[in-house]
Amino acid sequence: MDDYRKPLPVVTELNRPFWDGARREVLQVQCCTECGHLRYPIAEVCPRCLSGGVEWVPLSGVGEVFACVTYHRAYAPEFSDDVPYTVAIVQLDEGPRMLSNVVGPGRLDARVGDRVRVVFDAVTAQTTVPRFRLAQD
Amino acid sequence: MTNVSLKDRAAVVGVGVTEQGRTPGASNLTLAVDAFVRALDDAGLHKDQIDGLLTEPGTTEFGWALDYLRLGEALGINPSFTHTVMQGGSTAASLVQTAAMAVATGQATYVACVFGDTPRTSRGPRTTDAAHGNAEDSWGVWGALGAITWSAMSASRHMALYGTTSEQLGEVAVSARLHASLNPEAVMREPITLDDHRESRAIVDPLRLLDCCLVTDGGACVIVTSSERARDLRSTPVSIAGMGQAYTTEKLGHPDWWYGPHQRTAVTRAYEMAGIEPGDVRVAQLYDNFTISTILWLEHAGFCGVGEGGPFVEGGRIRLGGRLPVNTHGGHLSAAHPEGWLTVIEGVRQVRGEGGDRQVADADICLVTGRGMLLNCASALVLTR
Repeated sequence: MDDYRKPLPVVTELNRPFWDGARREVLQVQCCTECGHLRYPIAEVCPRCLSGGVEWVPLSGVGEVFACVTYHRAYAPEFSDDVPYTVAIVQLDEGPRMLSNVVGPGRLDARVGDRVRVVFDAVTAQTTVPRFRLAQD
Repeated sequence: MTNVSLKDRAAVVGVGVTEQGRTPGASNLTLAVDAFVRALDDAGLHKDQIDGLLTEPGTTEFGWALDYLRLGEALGINPSFTHTVMQGGSTAASLVQTAAMAVATGQATYVACVFGDTPRTSRGPRTTDAAHGNAEDSWGVWGALGAITWSAMSASRHMALYGTTSEQLGEVAVSARLHASLNPEAVMREPITLDDHRESRAIVDPLRLLDCCLVTDGGACVIVTSSERARDLRSTPVSIAGMGQAYTTEKLGHPDWWYGPHQRTAVTRAYEMAGIEPGDVRVAQLYDNFTISTILWLEHAGFCGVGEGGPFVEGGRIRLGGRLPVNTHGGHLSAAHPEGWLTVIEGVRQVRGEGGDRQVADADICLVTGRGMLLNCASALVLTR
């Protein structure tokens, strides 16, 4: 585990709840306490109402592939054992879109519109990365 | 929105292009200076007549925001109007607009817009940083590295929604290379076929090697002055008849970010100022960082409907001799890649009638577009005689 060489998240006070949630296997995003907008990417203020009030709320972790691409070239040597790997924009059922990977069976055949469910990949003792698998149903 | 119209108030009177490709020994600064000197010569101006200096910093060096000071000092000029802007591939067409505004409002007389970059021979910024794009997003964690990611996402979704095919993307690449083969300044001039495209290796599927632009060194400069002054200069003036910009600053937060709705806004604003419609455009220079970009622009510029960009390019429609020749210099795909600068300059040359073997007949109205950053920025110019 400690030989993980790929980029790790830059954890800040702002995004710490996201990454702490992932370690507990909870996918959570910011919810504006003023207007109720669920936002991602993580941001200081709500882009709809500019309020700074926030609470972190758990999501179902279920959604669909919004767009997906497969890397056949490793743009950094740390990824050379991973190619081909799939990066996707996932449309979560609750509204936000998230960048992630499609992993597991059928990952290279993932298509726009496919249903996906979050899985949690503990890449180091401190860091767990949310990724997505194609839903079985 | 009502515009104080800048239609035909300013003109491009000088363009300069350095050697493109690999330029060992040249720096971003020396390329910028070289391009500036060539543009001065084209316009028949002396450097001390330049009182506006707008720059785009090269992508391979930091200290970006101070680029205007460094270049001004190197050129030995002390302008009355200057700044540096970084909007990626939309910067060039955007700076020409700022220059037109400056001369139309009397803030400057002759404005030089300048760029020099060496991504081919110098080591660029490391794109493997987890923070690439935005520290809070940490996109590198998921291996989303390189500028190709976002255009590949666009292609993925465009294909899924509208049935756009890899072969249609291939036609964009083949067309660009055909045009480059007629351009002595182009870096890649060996013609390619649809088979070459299909057999080129997958980079980030659905994009293949021949869907990607080149990475090259080079400099470029565009000089703008008022339409009145332009008539007294050496070169054939090219009028800035229309201009527009627009931005989608939200990325994942915007449902249509992948498609670039701001690109349509930028072009529409330029058309409105110029008083033209898509059917009036004789030749178009559309920023092609990847083949999918050309297809998106064709839709945004109203040459076809939403989702119809793929079928539109079939049958040689965007090749020389086709209904709408696009990227007649070979574009970023085959000519060279100084972020959007050659797109503007090819527009100028076509309108002047200096396109040589690749000249489009009656190219009196040219649309030029730029797109940049993470699909965020768009700028458009309508250039006319």
